[in-house]
Amino acid sequence: MNNEVFVFSGVSTPQLSNIEFKINKGEKVVLFGPSGAGKSSLLFLFNRLKDPTEGRIHYRDKPITDYHVASLRKQVGLVMQSHHLFPGTVYDNLQYGPSLFESWDEGQASELLEMVALPQTILHKNVNQLSGGEKQRISFARTLANRPDVLLLDEPTSALDERTTEEIEDLLKMLGKEKNLTMIMVTHDLSQAKRLGDRGMFMSEGKLLVDQPVEEIFTSPENETLKNFLNR
Amino acid sequence: MAPDISNYSLLFLIIFVLIPLSLSYRYQLGMNKDIVWSTIRGTAQLFFIGYLLNVLFDLRAIIGVPIMVGAMILIASLHARNKGQGLPYVFPAILIGLLLIEASVLALWLIFDMISFKPSEVIPMSGMVIGNSMVAMGLALERIKSEFKENNGRLLAALSLGASPRQAAQIIIQKTLRASLIPNVDGLKTIGLVQLPGMMTGMILGGIEPVMAIKYQLIISISIFSSVSLSAIFITLVVYRFFFNKQAQLVPIKEGQSQ
Repeated sequence: MNNEVFVFSGVSTPQLSNIEFKINKGEKVVLFGPSGAGKSSLLFLFNRLKDPTEGRIHYRDKPITDYHVASLRKQVGLVMQSHHLFPGTVYDNLQYGPSLFESWDEGQASELLEMVALPQTILHKNVNQLSGGEKQRISFARTLANRPDVLLLDEPTSALDERTTEEIEDLLKMLGKEKNLTMIMVTHDLSQAKRLGDRGMFMSEGKLLVDQPVEEIFTSPENETLKNFLNR
Repeated sequence: MAPDISNYSLLFLIIFVLIPLSLSYRYQLGMNKDIVWSTIRGTAQLFFIGYLLNVLFDLRAIIGVPIMVGAMILIASLHARNKGQGLPYVFPAILIGLLLIEASVLALWLIFDMISFKPSEVIPMSGMVIGNSMVAMGLALERIKSEFKENNGRLLAALSLGASPRQAAQIIIQKTLRASLIPNVDGLKTIGLVQLPGMMTGMILGGIEPVMAIKYQLIISISIFSSVSLSAIFITLVVYRFFFNKQAQLVPIKEGQSQ
């Protein structure tokens, strides 16, 4: 049984050049580097919100282009920096993904709210009435409603206060462990990278410069650009 | 018959132009040239159309109507496409939309004997339908562009959850249609109470009985209402597709200079 979830070979886009790596099931990868390094561009390739101009991407042994786009995106969920909730109630947002695939069942709502540690009473509230932290948690729950195998995270806590960030991090740790989700997370917060990642990818100017276990990156960085970045 | 207005009286309209002009000087609005130019241009255009209509009304309907209606649709399409800069196929989309709408409205008018197939009836009525549809399409185009820009994150969220372009665009389609229809619904509510519609005013001044004028006005108002709705729906449903590609990815729209 092959353990590889994603394989990138020679992948280039206008923002990225010649990216190569493999990601195994259950790995927690953190992507970091200066702004404009191409982290978000890279993230959007995993669920085909963008396609590479060169190179190949494989998802579970098959070229990513062999999958129906919608079903690929169902399996590879994305949570963005801002919550980007849809107008309407919490319920409307939670059932959005599953309803597209006609797989929504009513019991799911309470399960999802529990997962993101929100009270059941919130379910029929309009999203305008929620706090920033609640909105971001609903955004997580909305993505989790599709029961993804891989979770893409684009700086999911950068707009949140310390306490909410901590709660979201706990949620991510729990999801990583219990559901053995594969996670690929862009972050600019190095201590968060340490807390959540077991593998670090350092990017700069569209290139993947370092790909190492997270501890090694912080204890014995070898790459010069990375050293400069860490010593800022 | 209607009382004539002497050219001598018309000359005093210059006073009305001098008011905004002096305002522009006084408050340095920098619009002097614009005000003078649009006044001259508007006057010339109206006289030109007046003489042209004289000629067209004397032609046989089967020749006069297609020439004038065709020209109106063409000019309207050229004008409205500026609002859709950066989007592909805007001109043909508007052109086809206006043709379809004008054809169906005209067909209904004629079938139910609301007006007769004479240049003097078809051309002014069509002009109003086409003109209002043009404005509606322009508004819808501007609106859909700004909605796509504003809702980029939501669209990405919807696509990333597995939505098709049609499903993802649903919020934007709704908002665009609402925005295009609201002014019309509001307009119909107060029609005649504040402002007598231009066509009705013209007919009454021209010596037609008010009740007769109202019948025509009803035909045109309701026709405009439905053709404006159709225009907005047509252009929105055609154009939203151009914001996506076949892989259900968002395509960046090149921003043209604003008109």
